[in-house]
Amino acid sequence: MSHKENISVDGKLTRQQLKELETKKMTPLQKFFELVIMILPLVCGIIAILEYKLIPDKSMNNNPNTYLWVLVGLVIAYNVYGWFSAYRRVKGDKSVYEKLRFRAPLYSALFLLLAFYDYMTIKTGVLTQPFVPCMNFILNAAIRDYKMILECTVHTLWLLFLGYTSGVVLGLITGITCGYSKRCRYWVDPVIKFLGPIPTSTWIPIMMVVASSLFGGAVFIIALGSWFAVTVASMTGISNVDKDYFEAARTLGATGRQLVFRVAIPHAMPSILSGCTQAMSSSCTAIMIAEMLGVKAGLGWYMNWSKSWASYDKMFAALFVICIIFTLVTKGLEAVKRHVLRWQNGAEK
Amino acid sequence: MEEKKVVLKLENVSKSFAKVENDDVTHALSSVSTIMESGEFISLVGPSGCGKSTILRLVAGLIHPTTGSVTVDGKEVEGPAPDRGMVFQKPTLFPWLTVEKNIAFSLQMQGKLKGNEDRVEEMIKVIGLENFREDYPAQLSGGMAQRVALVRSLINEPNILLLDEPLGALDAFTRMNMQDEILKIWRKRKQLAIMVTHDVDEAIYMGTRVLVMDANPGRIVADIKIEEEFPRDRSSAAFVAYRNDILNKLHFGGNKAE
Repeated sequence: MSHKENISVDGKLTRQQLKELETKKMTPLQKFFELVIMILPLVCGIIAILEYKLIPDKSMNNNPNTYLWVLVGLVIAYNVYGWFSAYRRVKGDKSVYEKLRFRAPLYSALFLLLAFYDYMTIKTGVLTQPFVPCMNFILNAAIRDYKMILECTVHTLWLLFLGYTSGVVLGLITGITCGYSKRCRYWVDPVIKFLGPIPTSTWIPIMMVVASSLFGGAVFIIALGSWFAVTVASMTGISNVDKDYFEAARTLGATGRQLVFRVAIPHAMPSILSGCTQAMSSSCTAIMIAEMLGVKAGLGWYMNWSKSWASYDKMFAALFVICIIFTLVTKGLEAVKRHVLRWQNGAEK
Repeated sequence: MEEKKVVLKLENVSKSFAKVENDDVTHALSSVSTIMESGEFISLVGPSGCGKSTILRLVAGLIHPTTGSVTVDGKEVEGPAPDRGMVFQKPTLFPWLTVEKNIAFSLQMQGKLKGNEDRVEEMIKVIGLENFREDYPAQLSGGMAQRVALVRSLINEPNILLLDEPLGALDAFTRMNMQDEILKIWRKRKQLAIMVTHDVDEAIYMGTRVLVMDANPGRIVADIKIEEEFPRDRSSAAFVAYRNDILNKLHFGGNKAE
């Protein structure tokens, strides 16, 4: 960045250079404040470690080092990330640094929260053990029982995948045909109006009586929920396509199927994808209820099962795993959406 | 390039639309007859509701006449086709396609894209948007978008070019620039161009013939040949005379008070 002063405004200018040109120089006090914020997560991490090591435990704590290692690992990870961002910054790429700077206060809060939780559980017993187990218990449980948790995770994901994809595919087919053909809508509309308002979980008792296999029944219920969300979204999307686009496409020589696949569907894509997101959240709800009530495998079942054995540490471990996989699935879907709809973020260049 | 001459005939064309709010019918066009040929640049000018856009849409084949016939070289127009290209007032670029793919859209729909990529390239060059080929329409200015829309239909080398107020939504300077650009493109191939406009100056500046229209019912009230060389001077005596004549026919003349 030695040539920074020489950049002429009318020449080639990257967005980052522009931003640098337009931001004011920081005062020494502001610079110091920035540095403090970047270091704060480290300080908070060390506080969490000290809290765990120095304050005596109130109840028995087996394998006390698991949580300690995780804390140390997190602190080291932050360190590595921090040095990497500093390195990139020196090389002229500020984006990594800015991302980290943005998240640093959150990381600090996370470490403090961990310390606080630990203090309330194992150190003082305000939250009674073993009903609200401390982090160390939860981690130990997860490690001890990892085979079973893994098996259950795979089962849950497989169920989610089957139910969600079949629901989405069928929903796209009905939604698009109905958006396009009035006759089809005439027959499907009453079904949607009648079945739509029923929450998916309502079907679970019925499924337990009727379905020959509970797994198949659960797939059906998840699929039904996603089918409904995607059908409605793609139907509205398709029927709202601007007439002008069809006219333009027709004067350009597009006919029949091309009007559907090259004009109507791309135009309805934002609506279709928001239907898919909605379907995912309804699937996640449905799958947990199904596993807790009927299906004899999966993370929902595992949580219930460990509760009945009074292994609350396992229960919490499963909760964290559920949280992680649903976050990942939603993030993945978001990424797909961002990629497919990249034409929407115009103006910004 | 060998140019195909076409003759467009409107014979006693009437078009009526059913109103949405009640059982009445609007007579957008009432027995309009005229003949247009390749090499002509026809400006349709008149107040709103006089049916000028209706004529374009009939020629494009987007709608069909209530009575009468629209024929190209004796053949009835049955539906839209790429050899009758149309540019709308809104650019109507497909927002999910890049500039390049928008321009290639028509060739792709007809399955002719393979081997014709250079034509897409040529069109991008004509409008000077080489640096914007990967951009999406949302990132373009109004003038750029309308240029893309223009070459998007020109890529088919249409025998008839229909322009439905293509410059109506642009600012005055962009508008004047694009008038010249469109003329340049038209003079190269001398296809039949029909342009709808609200602007009398634009009609005279660009047209070889101005059809003055009036509403209730929509009809052609005057057919004026503009005998001026291109490029035209907006302030020449002949230009002003044409303008006064047309404004008079539209009841906006200076001696209206009497």
